Amino acid sequence: MNLLELVSISKYFGNVTALEDVHTHVEAGKVTCVLGDNGAGKSTFIKILSGVHQQTSGDYLLEGTPVRFTSPRDARAAGIATVYQDLAMAPLMSVWRNFFLGSEPGTLGRFDIAFAKQTAKDEMMKMGIDVRDIDQPVGTLSGGERQSVAIARAVYFGAKVLILDEPTSALGVRQSGVVLRYIRAAAERGLGVIFITHNPHHAYPVGDRFLLLNRGRSMGDFDKDEIALDELTRLMAGGAELEALQHELGSR
Amino acid sequence: MTDDVVTSGGAPTHDERISFRGPLQRMLISPEIGALIGTIMVWTLFWATSEKFSTAPTSASWLDGAAPLGIMAVAVALLMIGGEFDLSAGVITGSTGIMVGLFAQKFMGDGVTMWMAVPIAFLAAGLIGWMNGTFVNKTGLPSFIVTLATFFILRGVNLVFAKRLVDKVLVENIDEVKDFEFFRKLFAATHTLEPFSARDTILLFGGIIGGALVVAGLLEQSLVRRAASNPKGLVLLLVGVAGVAGGVLMLHNSDGASANFIWGTVSLLGGLLFAVGYGLLRFETEPPYGPWWAPASTKLFLSGIAATVVSFVVTRFLDKDEERVLLSIPSHGVKVAIAVGSALIGGGIVARRGLRRIRERSGVVRRSPTAYPLLVFTSLVAAGATTVAVLTFLQLTTEQGFRSLVQVGVGGGGILALLGAKGVASKTSKRAQLVVGAVAAIVILFTGFVVRHDAGSERFRSGFMAVVAILAVLVVGNALVEYIFRKRREAFTAGDTLGRILVFTGITVAGVGMAIRLIWSGAPVRVSIAWWLAITLIGAYTLARTRFGNWIFAVGGNKEAARAVGVPVDQVKVGLFMMVSLVGCLVGMMTALRYTSVAASQGVGEEFEYIIAAVVGGCLLTGGYGSVVGASFGAMIAAMLATGIPGSRWNTDNKYIFLGAVLFLAVLVNQKVRKKAQEAR
Repeated sequence: MNLLELVSISKYFGNVTALEDVHTHVEAGKVTCVLGDNGAGKSTFIKILSGVHQQTSGDYLLEGTPVRFTSPRDARAAGIATVYQDLAMAPLMSVWRNFFLGSEPGTLGRFDIAFAKQTAKDEMMKMGIDVRDIDQPVGTLSGGERQSVAIARAVYFGAKVLILDEPTSALGVRQSGVVLRYIRAAAERGLGVIFITHNPHHAYPVGDRFLLLNRGRSMGDFDKDEIALDELTRLMAGGAELEALQHELGSR
Repeated sequence: MTDDVVTSGGAPTHDERISFRGPLQRMLISPEIGALIGTIMVWTLFWATSEKFSTAPTSASWLDGAAPLGIMAVAVALLMIGGEFDLSAGVITGSTGIMVGLFAQKFMGDGVTMWMAVPIAFLAAGLIGWMNGTFVNKTGLPSFIVTLATFFILRGVNLVFAKRLVDKVLVENIDEVKDFEFFRKLFAATHTLEPFSARDTILLFGGIIGGALVVAGLLEQSLVRRAASNPKGLVLLLVGVAGVAGGVLMLHNSDGASANFIWGTVSLLGGLLFAVGYGLLRFETEPPYGPWWAPASTKLFLSGIAATVVSFVVTRFLDKDEERVLLSIPSHGVKVAIAVGSALIGGGIVARRGLRRIRERSGVVRRSPTAYPLLVFTSLVAAGATTVAVLTFLQLTTEQGFRSLVQVGVGGGGILALLGAKGVASKTSKRAQLVVGAVAAIVILFTGFVVRHDAGSERFRSGFMAVVAILAVLVVGNALVEYIFRKRREAFTAGDTLGRILVFTGITVAGVGMAIRLIWSGAPVRVSIAWWLAITLIGAYTLARTRFGNWIFAVGGNKEAARAVGVPVDQVKVGLFMMVSLVGCLVGMMTALRYTSVAASQGVGEEFEYIIAAVVGGCLLTGGYGSVVGASFGAMIAAMLATGIPGSRWNTDNKYIFLGAVLFLAVLVNQKVRKKAQEAR
C-alpha cells in the first residue's frame, strides 16, 4: 500500500490554474522527487501536501484513506513533516531550542532543557550528524547542517512522510552531497520522502520515483526504471523548447 | 529487574573540536553581560563620587525609582524579544490610574468600591493589549505605527475624560474612595523596618560565605579534579578559614586605623589561603611554564600604567570641590593656544587622510580637478568643528566634573587594560600572567588610596578601602590559582554542574545578606520592589525554561519558521501585548495609589525609557534575542543615573546626556557580545 497517494489533484486560485490533474504516490522507505522549473506549481504542490492550501478537486490519500487538512498543524499531527528551504529555523536560537520548537518536551508548560539538549544531540548523532556544540545558534551552522537539523527533527517527531522543499538549491556541491545522504538515510529509516527540486542531477541518485511538473500540469510520473537521467534532464529543462533554443543559438 | 535497560547512544562527553570555554568566557557571551557591567560601573562611579550613594536611604530611593521602570522593562523586553514594540506602554500607566480614580469617584453618580474599580482597570488594560496585538496581527502593520496610534488615543482619552468628569487634568483624592486602604497596601505600601543589631554581622557573614561559595564554584568550573584529595590542601583551607573568621571578628570589634589594617590584612590573606587550599585539596597542580614576560601583553600593560599615571596626575592637580568652568581657568593666551592647537589637530588629521587618499588613487583614476580645493575646504571645516567641540567641552565641563571623568574613565580604563594584559599573558605563560596580575593588584590598591584620599567621611573611607582590597586580592588570587593549577580544557559535566550550584548558592546567600541589610535599615522600603523582583524572576523563568519562552524567541527570531512548526504565532503576540498592558496597569495602580492623584500626562514619554532599559539589557531591536534580567539591570542603571547625578552635585539635566551615552555604549557592547556568541564554534 502506498503511504501517500495523490489522485488527480487540481488547485485553482480564482481563474488561475495552479495545478491540474496531478497524480503521484510515495511508499515507505522510498524517495519521490518532484521536479519542475520556476512557476511549475511545486510550491502549490507542497502547500497542499502540508495543509497550507486545500486542493480544489481530486483525492489526497494517506495510507489509503482520504484526508483533507485544514492547517499545517493537522498535517503534522498526521505524520507529514515539511522542511522548508529557509524558513525552518530561527537563526539566533540554539540548535536544541530549534530542534524542539513547537513541540517542547516537559509538563505544565515547562521546557525540560536537560532532556532537550541530550535528545537533540543523540538524534543528530543517529542521523550521522555530529554537531559540535548543541548550544550554538543555528545561524552559525552551514546551510547543509541546518537542513540536516531540520531533517533529524522531522524524523524524531515521528514523521511518516518527509517533504523537503529545495533542500539543496542554495548549497555548494559538497554540502548538497551531504544533504542527499541524509535524505537517503531518512528513507532507510522507513520514511516516505518527497524531495522537491529543480535539479535532476540531485534528484536522480536518491529518487525512486519522479513527478515532473510544468506550468501546473504533470508531464509524467515515472518509476526509476522507466526513465533515464538524460530523459529526465531533457524533460525538466523544457524539452522541445530547449532544443529549439539550441537550434536557434547554434545556427548563428 | 534493572539489567535489561539498554542505555542509549554513546554520545561522547566532550568533543575535541570545541575549545573549552571557562565559566567567565561563557558568562561573557550572555546577552545581559553588558548591562551587568554597566550597572556595576555606574554604581561604582556614584559610590566613588558621592559619599551618600551607598547608604541605605539613597539605595532605597534609587531602588524605589527602579522598581516601576524595571517592572515595565521586563514586560517590554519580552515583547521586544517577541519582535514587537509597544509605544503605548507608558501612557497606559496613566490611563489605568485615571480610570481607577474616575470609576471609584464618579461611576453611577458617587463611585464604586475599589474592589470593582481595580479589576475593571485590569480588564480594560487587557483589552487594550488585546487590541494592540490583534491590530498588529490582522493589519500586518509595524507595531510601531499601531501602538503609536494607541498612544495618542489614550492620551486624548485621558484628557477628555478627566476634564469632563472632574474639570481638571488631574484626578485627585483617590485616598477618599471606598476600600482604598487594602489596595494601597497591596500595590503601594511602605514599610520602615527599624535596624536590629545583628544585621551588619549578617551582611558580613553572608558576604564572606557567599563569596567563598562563588570562588569554590568558579574553581570547580575551571580546574581539573584530582583523583584523590590532597590532605595538605585541607590544612591550608582550615588555616584560611580560621584566618578569615578571626580577622573579621577582630575587625568588627576593634577600632583605630592600625588595628583595622592588621586584621583586614589577616582576613584577606585568610581568603587567599582558603582559595589555594581548596584548590590543592580538590584539583590537579601543574608546574609553571613560560617566560616571566609575555611580549604580546606589553602594549596593553604600558597603556594601563600610562592611564593610571595620567589619572593620578590629573587628580592631584585639579580640585574636587571646584565648580569653575574649565575654560575660565587659563589665561587669554592659553585659550587661543588651545583653540589653534585643536584646529591644527582636527584639520591636520583630515588633510593627511585626504592627501593619502588622493595619492593612492592617483594611479587608478584620473584626478578630479576639484580634488585639492575640496580637500582644503573639508580640512577647514574639520578644523573649525574640532575647535568648537573642544571649546564647548571646556565651556560645559567644570573642573570637578572633568576630574571625576578622568578619575573614573581613565583610571578605570587603566585597570581594565592591565587585567586585559593579564589575560593576554596567561595565554602563553603562567609566569608572565602572575607578574602582570601582581602589578594590576598593586595599581588597584594605589588607585584605591588615591580615591580614598578625596573622601570626606571616615565610614566611607574604610568601606571603600575594604572593597578595593578585596578586589586586589581577587586579582592576585586568580593569578596565583592560574600559576599553581592545571586549567581544564574540556567540558566536565559533574564539575560544571557542581560549580553552577555553588555559584548560584553563593550569590543567593550574599544577596539575602545584602537584602536583609537594606530592608532593616530604617529607610522606607516599598512593596513595589517586591513586585519588581517577582516579575523579573517570573519573566526570566518564563523566557528560559518554558514552552512559551521558546515561542517568544521563535516568534521574534523567525516568525514564518515558528508558524511552520506549529507555534501559534498570533496568539503569542497578542499574549505579549496583553502582558505589557496588564503590567502597565499594575504600575499604574502603584503610582495612583501611592500619590493618590494622577495627572493626565502620567507616563507619557516613559515608554522610551522602558525601551532603553530593554536595549541596554541586551535585547535586539529586531527581536529574537535578549534577556529579562538584563532589562532589570538596564532599569537600575537609569534609576541610578536619576538619583546619583543630583547626589554627586552635578546638574540634574545631565541625566539625559548620560542615559543617551549609556544607551549608545551598551548597544556597542551588546553588538560585540552578540557577534562573539554567534561566531562559529
